[in-house]
Amino acid sequence: MKNLYKYILFSLTVFFVSCEETVNIDTIASGPKLVIDGVLTNNSELNFIKLSYTRGFYSLDPNPAITDAVVTVTDDANNEVVYVHNPGNDPSKEGYYLPQTPYAGSIWTTYHLKVTVDGMDYTATETMLPVTKIDSLVNTIDLDEMEDPEEEGRFYEILFYAREPQDRVDHYLFKFYRNGRTLRDFEGDIYFSEDEFLGEAISGIPTAGYYKPGEFAKVEMYSISREAFIFYNDLSNLLNNDGGMFTPPPANPRTNLSNGAFGYFQVSAVDVMEIEVKEIN
Amino acid sequence: MRKFLLTAGVVLCSVLASAQEKVTLNGYVRDASNGEELLGVTVLVVEIGNGVISNNYGFYSITLAPGNYTVKYSFIGYKTIEKKITLDKDIELNIALPEEFTELEEVVVTGESPIANVSSIQMSRNDLDIKQVKKLPALFGEPDIIKTIQMLPGVISAGEGTSSFFVRGGSADQNLILIDEAPVYDPSHLFGLFSVFNADIIKDSELYKGGIPSRFGGRLSSILDVRTRDGNNKEFEGEAGIGLLASSISVEGPIKKDESSYLLSVRRSYVDLFLRAANNDNLVYFYDINAKVNWRANNKNRFFLSVYSGRDDFSFGEDFGFNWGNKTATFRWNHLFSDKLFSNTSLIASSFDYGLDIEDPVQGIRWDSNLQEFSFKNDFNYFATPQFELDFGYHVTYKRFAPGKITPSSDESIFTATELQHEYALDHAFYLGAQHEVSKKLTMTYGARLSVFQSVGKGDVYLYENEKDNIDPVRTDTLSFISFEPIKTYVNIEPRFSLRYMLTESSSMKMSYNRMVQNTHLISSGTVPLPFNTWAPSSYYLKPQVADQVAIGYFKNLNDNMYEFSAEAYYKKMDNVTDFADNAQVFFNTDLSTEYRQGDGEAYGLELFLQKKEGALTGFIAYTLSKTERTIDGVNVGKTFLANYDRRHSFNMLATYDYSDKWSFGGGFTYGTGRPTTIPSGTYEWGDGYSADVITERNGYNLPAFHRLDLSATLTPKSNANRKWKTSWVFSLYNAYSRKNPFSLYTRVRQDKDGNTIGDGNEKEARMIYLFPILPSVTYNIKF
Repeated sequence: MKNLYKYILFSLTVFFVSCEETVNIDTIASGPKLVIDGVLTNNSELNFIKLSYTRGFYSLDPNPAITDAVVTVTDDANNEVVYVHNPGNDPSKEGYYLPQTPYAGSIWTTYHLKVTVDGMDYTATETMLPVTKIDSLVNTIDLDEMEDPEEEGRFYEILFYAREPQDRVDHYLFKFYRNGRTLRDFEGDIYFSEDEFLGEAISGIPTAGYYKPGEFAKVEMYSISREAFIFYNDLSNLLNNDGGMFTPPPANPRTNLSNGAFGYFQVSAVDVMEIEVKEIN
Repeated sequence: MRKFLLTAGVVLCSVLASAQEKVTLNGYVRDASNGEELLGVTVLVVEIGNGVISNNYGFYSITLAPGNYTVKYSFIGYKTIEKKITLDKDIELNIALPEEFTELEEVVVTGESPIANVSSIQMSRNDLDIKQVKKLPALFGEPDIIKTIQMLPGVISAGEGTSSFFVRGGSADQNLILIDEAPVYDPSHLFGLFSVFNADIIKDSELYKGGIPSRFGGRLSSILDVRTRDGNNKEFEGEAGIGLLASSISVEGPIKKDESSYLLSVRRSYVDLFLRAANNDNLVYFYDINAKVNWRANNKNRFFLSVYSGRDDFSFGEDFGFNWGNKTATFRWNHLFSDKLFSNTSLIASSFDYGLDIEDPVQGIRWDSNLQEFSFKNDFNYFATPQFELDFGYHVTYKRFAPGKITPSSDESIFTATELQHEYALDHAFYLGAQHEVSKKLTMTYGARLSVFQSVGKGDVYLYENEKDNIDPVRTDTLSFISFEPIKTYVNIEPRFSLRYMLTESSSMKMSYNRMVQNTHLISSGTVPLPFNTWAPSSYYLKPQVADQVAIGYFKNLNDNMYEFSAEAYYKKMDNVTDFADNAQVFFNTDLSTEYRQGDGEAYGLELFLQKKEGALTGFIAYTLSKTERTIDGVNVGKTFLANYDRRHSFNMLATYDYSDKWSFGGGFTYGTGRPTTIPSGTYEWGDGYSADVITERNGYNLPAFHRLDLSATLTPKSNANRKWKTSWVFSLYNAYSRKNPFSLYTRVRQDKDGNTIGDGNEKEARMIYLFPILPSVTYNIKF
């Protein structure tokens, strides 16, 4: 559906004479707000809580990091894990909080996040849902792309296969990597899905981007809650907003975080698969 | 209400009683050259200084004591005809009015102009002269009445390139757009660059913004009543226009002279041909077909059938296509039960549909959505006396909505076939309206419309744990209804009242109050409706929208009726205006009702209008000062916000000037305060480098002002006396000083020209989209 708006704008702006340009706007000032970016999965390497503040629209610096917060995650059996700020003292990990000892979550467990910043408490609760297994990834040549590749030599496409369980409600988030780096077709793309209109056989959906032989393609598939699906959907609408002419007016994504914090505390089971792209003759 | 009806009944009875020993003069008023019926012709009986106006079907009837009378028939753009009549029995008199520039012997040119602006009871109404519209500058050379409507006082446009308009604080879906009485659900071609109204076939179009007569209902803010021509019943005639984007041809003529006629008109765009020539595999086209057959069996019975079909088709290579279209059909029977009782019986069908095609082996789907409605309407006009006229009638409409259906395009598709539940409704309306001349100075209309709207089965209504929970709606129960079983019935009485008081011979005060009820709702949360928006009836969850409007106006004709001036102020209060929750998911949502948020709207404004309808220079100047706000629980955190289409000041000017027989010129200037839009108050990175905005207030920022000048020149070469055809050229200059007018403002991560992110993705920028720079165009017209 999001692409529909792109097509409409495209037809209005490309078929007919139009232009766009960067303009300066006097943004409405508002004080900094807490941003929580939290991920808890059944894979200990993927887990972190990142805390920062929102910043001015025209600010060139990254979100100001918060380094003195108290962060805990408690499961429904009352096991509390205390997160500490940047335990490895990595300058690129300012604002990141990790458990003293890495741990993995487990499915059907409910986790409670509590963040205390400047005497204010922010909380979120989320349950880890099971994730569908990735059957396989297959690389194939995209003929259109081969004819006119955007990047030299990159015209291999990765197709994704899985079986969608029809007896339960699932929501998914996908992340794609090329040689370990995040890969998206467009800046504002988020790859997520609900299963309401999906059949069982997911056979050969193209993933984002193109590859050349020898490159590594990795897919991470996350189970997400209904609330997280709504969050990603809202975030996607916000990122791809046209200013409210055809799309709905921009609005802040709905979140599981309390007290007006931005961001989300995502709890997911994850399945990962990586392949090396093989040349096809 | 009961008391009011009783009073109306008593007035009616006394009027009927006093009318016993009188005689009636009646008939149709037509255009002498082609037999087209003329609407709104003033029929004045000089001796009593009083008269009537021909109705929407060109019929008039006037009841008088027997005697000798002088009757004047006058209409703008036509010569006035004066008849001496000895009225000793009922007389049927059809009148043919010649156009102003033709010469006929029986014509008495009185030099007197109708002063309908001042004397008519109707306020808040604008007529559009299609002949003038055709001389005005037009985008890509396609004359378009909706673009002219957007210039009228009290009407706001969201920007250029759209066919939506906003009347007195109403949203775009609150306008009832009628073509030959059939509603058109989406009037746009090419996403609004043009409207569906082909200028070649329009006879008359009127926009009602307030004081809306009781025969109209169903939408809150306005009625745009477009009527097509009947077709020349005297001789064969044709017209063709060749424009930059589209061409049209229409033919018309008698089937049997003076008795029956036909009209057929086709318009098609040919952008696709250019694209194909340029080896572009994207395709875009639209077409319109209007056909009409008209038969006057006798003065007592007239029939017509009018059909419209229009469609847009877009395809982007082989991957993606979409299309939409309207179809309408109207069958009408006008019947005279007596000299005084005119009836119009119509059968109307209207349909709108859109489809999306995504071609892909695994993700391919076909998506269809459509709606249909069928109406039966019975309208009566009772011309009791010159002082008293009565309108009454009954309308019933059956509506069917099929909001969406997904069909996988192949067996390998990952999607399953799914369909959203259909919705059905029965819409009844009973109305009664009286036009009563209380004294020479005071005329009133009063009446009411009773709207009975039923959402009916077959269908299921879901009950929710929390009916406003749009995140994870939990259904607790399902109510099932069989076909035509009422799910919910809404009964509303809509009082209508207006008054005109003549202050002097050339000036009057008018007042009106009307309540309007809307039971079909557009499911869209953008500013401008798209053809892909669906409609839904009032139902278990969706309540009828209600608007109360009061308007007061001063009307004055100047300089021997050369200039018409009016000043109107209005206040409108709207209840249950339909909006959607922040972040609403309105496409293919099986729990759509959880996204509905209905609340209050308030609008007020002042409109100044100066119009010159006669002479070489004609045109108007319109200024509107207005404000529109909404307060809706669950939208903008419940805080009052400006409507998306609010413009504080709007100033428009249109003029045409007939310089010589050969040359005429047109010009239009528009200025409007910038539309409000929502901008960020900050930003933050989140997740894998997503840069999201912080939104604090809806519509808290105004885009820059919108202004534009358009110019046109029409060249009509001297026609050769031996040749039957006439030609003309229309040269247009759109946006003459190439103002960059804001269309929309959005934000993104800062990018260079090729779309690559600048820096580490922390920088953001605001982007303004402008649609049209200076655009010249030329259109060639042939009349044969």
